[in-house]
Formats: sequence, structure tokens, C-alpha cells
Amino acid sequence: MHLPPWFWFAVVVLITWGVVGLLQKLSTNCISAESALIWLVVGFLILAPVFYPGKALFSYSARSLVYILASAAFNATGAWALLTAMKSGGKASLVVPLTALYPLVVVLVAPLVLRESISLLQGAGVGCALVAVVLLST
Amino acid sequence: MKLASLKSRWFLYSILSVFCWGAWAMLAKLGSREIPAEASQFFFAWGAVPVALVLLAARGWKLEKNFKGIGYSVANGILSGVGGWALFAAYRTGGSTSIITTVTGMYPLITVVLAVGILRERLTRLHLLGLAFAAAAFVIFSL
Repeated sequence: MHLPPWFWFAVVVLITWGVVGLLQKLSTNCISAESALIWLVVGFLILAPVFYPGKALFSYSARSLVYILASAAFNATGAWALLTAMKSGGKASLVVPLTALYPLVVVLVAPLVLRESISLLQGAGVGCALVAVVLLST
Repeated sequence: MKLASLKSRWFLYSILSVFCWGAWAMLAKLGSREIPAEASQFFFAWGAVPVALVLLAARGWKLEKNFKGIGYSVANGILSGVGGWALFAAYRTGGSTSIITTVTGMYPLITVVLAVGILRERLTRLHLLGLAFAAAAFVIFSL
């Protein structure tokens, strides 16, 4: 069987991000959500040189940099909230799928902020996500 | 169905995470109009530092000295970055973006399998039904 070139990279994504959910729960079993987030950011910084963009670093507009840095701050805050949910007794098997439904917010807010319209299919996705939120919270 | 759990602490923090990550996705999309994905990953690490500093200050600049917890957390950060790198690499192979996004968007199901198998977490039938709806939503949102 011939597998496409992207397949093994996708497997790496599934394994690493899947394992991250498990490690998040294990870390909050040992330390506070705040400490877990701080050390997680240390992990980010260890890997940052791999993504160093070189001279292009100084070529981006201030507006784009503000967007990216603000997005990173929201991502870290979201990660802290997820870790706090786990520290508060939330199961990894429920918290991780629940928080992964964040595109729901994007689909609902994008028409206002990004001037994008919601398709019928995306509407079905919103419905599935809302049902999932209620069922996972039981 | 116990709707009282909608008010439980873990659920409310999970919803806070959903809103924060929704804002992250939208702002990242705006920023990515000019900044390529890998460079975004570089800024991503530095943009998280102020949040870490605020939390560190809130803890009185003191952290627990639990090496197991520290190890798990640092590994979290590194694995998150490796996963991000692999995603960019998958896109660069020229494969279908929607298929790659759909397949990789299934990572929460790997966590579920690991949590049930390793952490011995138990799920009810309603939870399993909820996971099926969540999986359907992941697929639809990534199309």
C-alpha cells in the first residue's frame, strides 16, 4: 500500500498532540495549573530557535505582529484555563475534546469580525458542537 | 441528564478555554495574512511569556519543586511545538489541506484512548455519544 507523503507527518501530529492531553492531566496531578503553564511556556521557548525566521523577523508590519503576539497570549490563557479545568477534577478524556471545540467560537464570531458568512454545513457543525458540549458536561 | 454539572468548576474553565482559543484562532488568522506559519510559531512562544509572568507574579514568584510535574509540563510545551512543526511539514508536502486538517483534528480522540487506557478514566454512554458529536464537529469545522 502506498501512503501519501503527508501521512507520517499527520501521524506525528496525532501522537504528539494526543499525548499532550495526557501529560497535561499528569502535570496537574503533581503541580498547580499556574506552574504547569509556566513550565509549558519554558518548553515553547526551548523549541523557539527551531522556528527563528532569520532576517525576515524585522520585515513584518507592526499590525501583524500585534495580531500574532495577542493570539499567543490568548492561546496561553486558554491553556491555563484547560489546566485549571483538569486541576479542578475535569477528566482529560472530557476536557480535551470539549476545549477542542473552539472553532465553534470562530464560526459564530467570524461573520462579525472577519466578514465571513456561515455555510449550511458549518451550521450543522455548530449544532453538533453544541450537542457535544451538553453531552460531555453530563 | 445532570445539567447541574454545567456549573461545575472544570466545565466553566473548559468553556473559558474555548473562548480564549476561539480568539487565538481568529487573531492568528489575521496575523497569518502576512506572517508565515513557522515564523508565527516563533512569535507564538514569546507571546506566551507575559501570561506566564503574570501567573508567576500571582504565585508570589514561587513555583513548586516537583520534578515530575515540571518534566511533564516542559514535555507538553516541546511536544506541542513538534506537533505544530509536523503540521506545517504535512501542509508543505502538497497534500490536500482539508484532508490533513481533518485527520490531524482528531487528536482529542487519541487523548481519550490514552486517558481511558492509562489513567483509567471512565466514560458514560452519554459521554461516548458526546465524543461522536464532537468528532463530527471536528470534521465539519476542518472542511
